[in-house]
Amino acid sequence: MSAAATMHMPREGSNYDEISMQQSMLFSNNLQDLKNLRTQLYSAAEYFELSYTNDGDTQSVVETLKDYAIKALVNTVDHLGSVTYKVNEFVDEKVDQVTETELRVACIEQRLRMCQEYMDHEGRSQQSLVINTPKFHKRYILPSGEIKMGGNLGKLKSVESSFGEEAEWNQFRDAVRTTIRETPPPLLRKPVLPSPPQRKTQRSATFSFSSISNMAPKKEQDKRAVSPHRFPLLRSGSVAIRPTSVSRPTTPSKSRTITPKRYPSEPRRSASVRAAFEKEAQKEPEQQQQQQQQPSKSKRLLKALLSRRKTKKDETLYTYLDEY
Amino acid sequence: MAKAGGGITNAVNVGIAVQADWENREFISHISLNVRRLFEFLVQFESTTKSKLASLNEKLDLLERRLEMLEVQVSTATANPSLFAT
Repeated sequence: MSAAATMHMPREGSNYDEISMQQSMLFSNNLQDLKNLRTQLYSAAEYFELSYTNDGDTQSVVETLKDYAIKALVNTVDHLGSVTYKVNEFVDEKVDQVTETELRVACIEQRLRMCQEYMDHEGRSQQSLVINTPKFHKRYILPSGEIKMGGNLGKLKSVESSFGEEAEWNQFRDAVRTTIRETPPPLLRKPVLPSPPQRKTQRSATFSFSSISNMAPKKEQDKRAVSPHRFPLLRSGSVAIRPTSVSRPTTPSKSRTITPKRYPSEPRRSASVRAAFEKEAQKEPEQQQQQQQQPSKSKRLLKALLSRRKTKKDETLYTYLDEY
Repeated sequence: MAKAGGGITNAVNVGIAVQADWENREFISHISLNVRRLFEFLVQFESTTKSKLASLNEKLDLLERRLEMLEVQVSTATANPSLFAT
């Protein structure tokens, strides 16, 4: 048989390519022998059939046929075993190669994923640095009228140190006072706090600057706290007190006619305050009668009102009003 | 006596022939059994080889897709080098 000859091929090969080439040639030769084995078996069967029918010595033909069948079966088993071993080895080798390639691809994917995560992290950190977190600071009013945010304390200190001289300090104080008086409070404080805290903030601001100008803040606060009339509007404490003090007439019949004249700064205030004031004036005649029992204070108030200058209307008026 | 001796020899020959026939049958049964075993081995080998090749083909398909995806990602990254700019 040709398969036996192929099995004795010289196996020489210095490197892997030659060995693999020889193995592939052996595999192809084995496959070719398996293909030829079918025709050989068919030809052997025909030969033994003819010899059995033609020859008289059937026993020897049968014995030869038996030996040939056994050898052919063993040879077929050997060929099939060799071919299947080769095929299994080849498939296992390819499976190992595919597994190794999968491992490499998984490694590449993991590296790529790590790069992507790193890029995402870096981009996220960059974007997070761009975002400005909201910071709320106090507002400081400068004499030039500009509003400076209190976040920069160094600038504030430098601004404060620049007011070392007394004249500049007085100028700054007057500017702040005019700013507080002239600027409408709801515009500044409406979006920040509701009405009850606004009253507190305004009082605190008034307190801080009136303490500098030697005013009496404690007395004012005490009087406002004692007064029974509490309105939710701004500066309602002083407005609530004013009818009791300001509307005190020299004669009882002129009380209602004098009341609008005693507020030169009223056009800057809201009409609701005025209406509330008038309502309070109408509803409380008894309090007015009690207020008439203080003629000396009303005289002082009238003198102050007559002697006040037009430019300092609000200061003197509020000073006297706050004293009451 | 000759008839009796001829009958005995015939019986012996028939017995020998029957014995040879049973031996031939046994041999054929052995050969057929081994051929069946060989056939079963071939069938089993075919099934295992087919399953191995199927799994290998599946792995190769999956690997091919993953490689295509990696190739697209790498081509996209190389097409946009600004993505790697720090």
